[in-house]
Amino acid sequence: MSAGGDGGEAKGGLPPNTIIGIGAAGGLIGIYLAHFLPATFSFFGGLGAICAIVWGADAVRRVASYGLGTGVPSIGMISLGMGILTALFGLSVGGIAGPIVAFIAAAVIGAIIGVLANKVIGMGIPIMEQAMVEIAGAGTLAIIGLSTVIAGTFDYAVVLETVVSTGFIAMIFIIGGMGILHPFNANLGPDEKQDRTLILGVEKAALAMIIAGLASSINLGLGPAFVTILVGLTVWYISFNKFFGFVKRDAYAVVGTGLLPSEEELQ
Amino acid sequence: MIDLAANLLWMFLVVIGGVLISWSVHFVPVGGAPAAMAQATGIGTGTVQLAAGAGLTGLISAGYTMQVVDNLPLILASGTVGAMIMISVTMIVGTWVYVYGVGCVPSSAKVKVDPITHDRQDLYVSQGTEGHGLPTVSFVSGVIGGALGGFGGSLVYYALLKVGMGVAEVDANMIGLVAIFAVGIFFVNAVIPSYNIGGTIEGFHDPKWKKWPKAVISSFVATIFCALVAVIAISQLGGL
Amino acid sequence: MEPLISMGVLALMGVAATIAGASEDLESDVGSQSNPNSQVQLAPQMMFPHRIYNKAVSGEPPSNALMCAIGATGAVVLMGEFNLSPLFALVIGALIAACVHGTFAMTSTMGRAASQSRFKQPVYLDMIRSHTPVIMAYAFITTFCVLIISYMMNVVLGHPFPLPLLAFIWGITIGAIGSSTGDVHYGAEREFQQFEFGSGLNASNSGNIVRFGESGLRNGYDNSWFCAKFGGPVTGIAFGMTVFLGSWITTVFDPAVSITRGWLSAVAGVIIVFILIIWNRKIEVAARNNYGPYKEDKPEEEAAA
Repeated sequence: MSAGGDGGEAKGGLPPNTIIGIGAAGGLIGIYLAHFLPATFSFFGGLGAICAIVWGADAVRRVASYGLGTGVPSIGMISLGMGILTALFGLSVGGIAGPIVAFIAAAVIGAIIGVLANKVIGMGIPIMEQAMVEIAGAGTLAIIGLSTVIAGTFDYAVVLETVVSTGFIAMIFIIGGMGILHPFNANLGPDEKQDRTLILGVEKAALAMIIAGLASSINLGLGPAFVTILVGLTVWYISFNKFFGFVKRDAYAVVGTGLLPSEEELQ
Repeated sequence: MIDLAANLLWMFLVVIGGVLISWSVHFVPVGGAPAAMAQATGIGTGTVQLAAGAGLTGLISAGYTMQVVDNLPLILASGTVGAMIMISVTMIVGTWVYVYGVGCVPSSAKVKVDPITHDRQDLYVSQGTEGHGLPTVSFVSGVIGGALGGFGGSLVYYALLKVGMGVAEVDANMIGLVAIFAVGIFFVNAVIPSYNIGGTIEGFHDPKWKKWPKAVISSFVATIFCALVAVIAISQLGGL
Repeated sequence: MEPLISMGVLALMGVAATIAGASEDLESDVGSQSNPNSQVQLAPQMMFPHRIYNKAVSGEPPSNALMCAIGATGAVVLMGEFNLSPLFALVIGALIAACVHGTFAMTSTMGRAASQSRFKQPVYLDMIRSHTPVIMAYAFITTFCVLIISYMMNVVLGHPFPLPLLAFIWGITIGAIGSSTGDVHYGAEREFQQFEFGSGLNASNSGNIVRFGESGLRNGYDNSWFCAKFGGPVTGIAFGMTVFLGSWITTVFDPAVSITRGWLSAVAGVIIVFILIIWNRKIEVAARNNYGPYKEDKPEEEAAA
């Protein structure tokens, strides 16, 4: 059902703190590597975005398991709505510390919206504040990471010129948001497993990286774009196969073709 | 240094715009998933998405008008009208589908009598459902919602573009930045009220509608911070 | 601009929008997306396993916005980097978008089925293989037509927003319209054709979707076959009307000519909206007079139903 989970804590798998660490540290390291290394290595921004998107997907999984009252996608859209503001704000004032400033700003605005959601609107989701901080932070890092892939740097003027004025920012907005909201939405159900959801996050983030790599060819030329697309395709291929493996592991049956399960089977 | 005081008026307008967007979502009659099965009154889609669809259509109209004239009332009017057209076209075609495709009579389960036409509603509600289709009151409410959303979105866009005009010439960078910020602020203020109403509402006659102050206060606070970061980021255009 | 040329552009945009709307709705019917899909999702839990695609990418607006934004990105790159003609660039951009959408569709249907293993819902690979290309084909048509609209607005009408942003916004709009109009025909009628016509879906029948076709098991093709007769075309009309009327008022009463003209365009828009309100009222009254029976008329029949 698109209305979200059945109202309980998400269980199993890696503890949240591990994923927060991977997402925040991996995201920032990837962004800074892409910024300082030559344009050929702009794909590191994409790898950073993958870490951030997986983190965001895990945070969505934890908060949406409580049931949001409306579709899972809404939380992805609000996270990217905040993310787009804070990402460009951070880059505009932070200089070399831009991604970190953006990250902190996202955490602050996320916390405010989380508190408002629980205290004023009264959603009553115990982890709402923390989840909003995480989702906003992850969305911001995903946007900066993908922007860095296209621009080759996170310098505000270059990002404006190559990402914002061309409109690629709208593509980053939605593909980052889908990377964060799709994994849990696509695995919704009582037998959802964390590893399957997260590997789907990797797969979607790799797609985002491929498209961002394609867009980077305008600014960085065909060489770096080719490298990014190649790395993205490799990650995508591996993660898709892993996801399919998890589906085969978890599903009741994966059949080439067949009729519906019989009455006796359903008993 | 960024001159925030000079931009206080524009920030204020952005916040007003955000609050209007948040309020507008309460008017849009959406029944969520049940409405798509003719199980609840309203349009069979999600609150955020329909409000965003209407409001952003208005943003396209306002963006076009702003390109050719610099007249605040006219820009706001074009955004409002663009959103109203989108939402009323969607609702009239929705009514075709409910009446001609599904065979349901528009009826509300939340009120006994339509406050606008004074028609009885409860007689027409099918068994096991909470109403279906779009009675006149929901339709009118939706038009109001679309108008407010388009108005708020255009106001945000106009105010942010004015901030940019204060520091630099209008160019593609500025338009792209301002437009994506307007989209971002729109989504933040469309999701907050949809959590407030739990995803479904019939219109301004719905008891849930009275909850709007909660969402409006939340949006007010959230938009202040969004406006702050947006204004600072746009002001930096001047230093480039 | 020459009034004739702008009217021609407007007509072409309206046509493209109409096609886009129809294909958008059929795309969501063949794959089962958005709100009606909640019943496909619920069915196995109610002991009704099925062979219907479960395309839970997200709501339709984000997924269509994604397709259109990716398509526009591809087109911009091809036009900017490779100097391709716009027509080729838009086609190839739409192709890239359709491929990405195909992977989203596949992972969602497999993921959702795997998360329902306790209800014994199998993953049918032949169903995925046969339906995904159809979904991609519809996605291609939708994206291509939305790209044409966005390109026309951007290049010919001189809209200031960059192409990917315009495509993104039109993607949100077409998804919102598709899930509000055509999807109801699929969700309220086609999924529950075994129940009495015209009564909505009784909550006690939730999840009991039609799973058997004229011969064999029902699949997404059967659903899009049915919805192509009404739900798809009206969605097309809805999106076509939105794009056409929204641009028509500013083309006929161009605000660039004078402020007065601009105000006339707003007045024209408001008049259109009032006509639609009255139209809705007329349909409402006509339906109430012609349909029935209702509770008061024949209470015993209603109780039996």
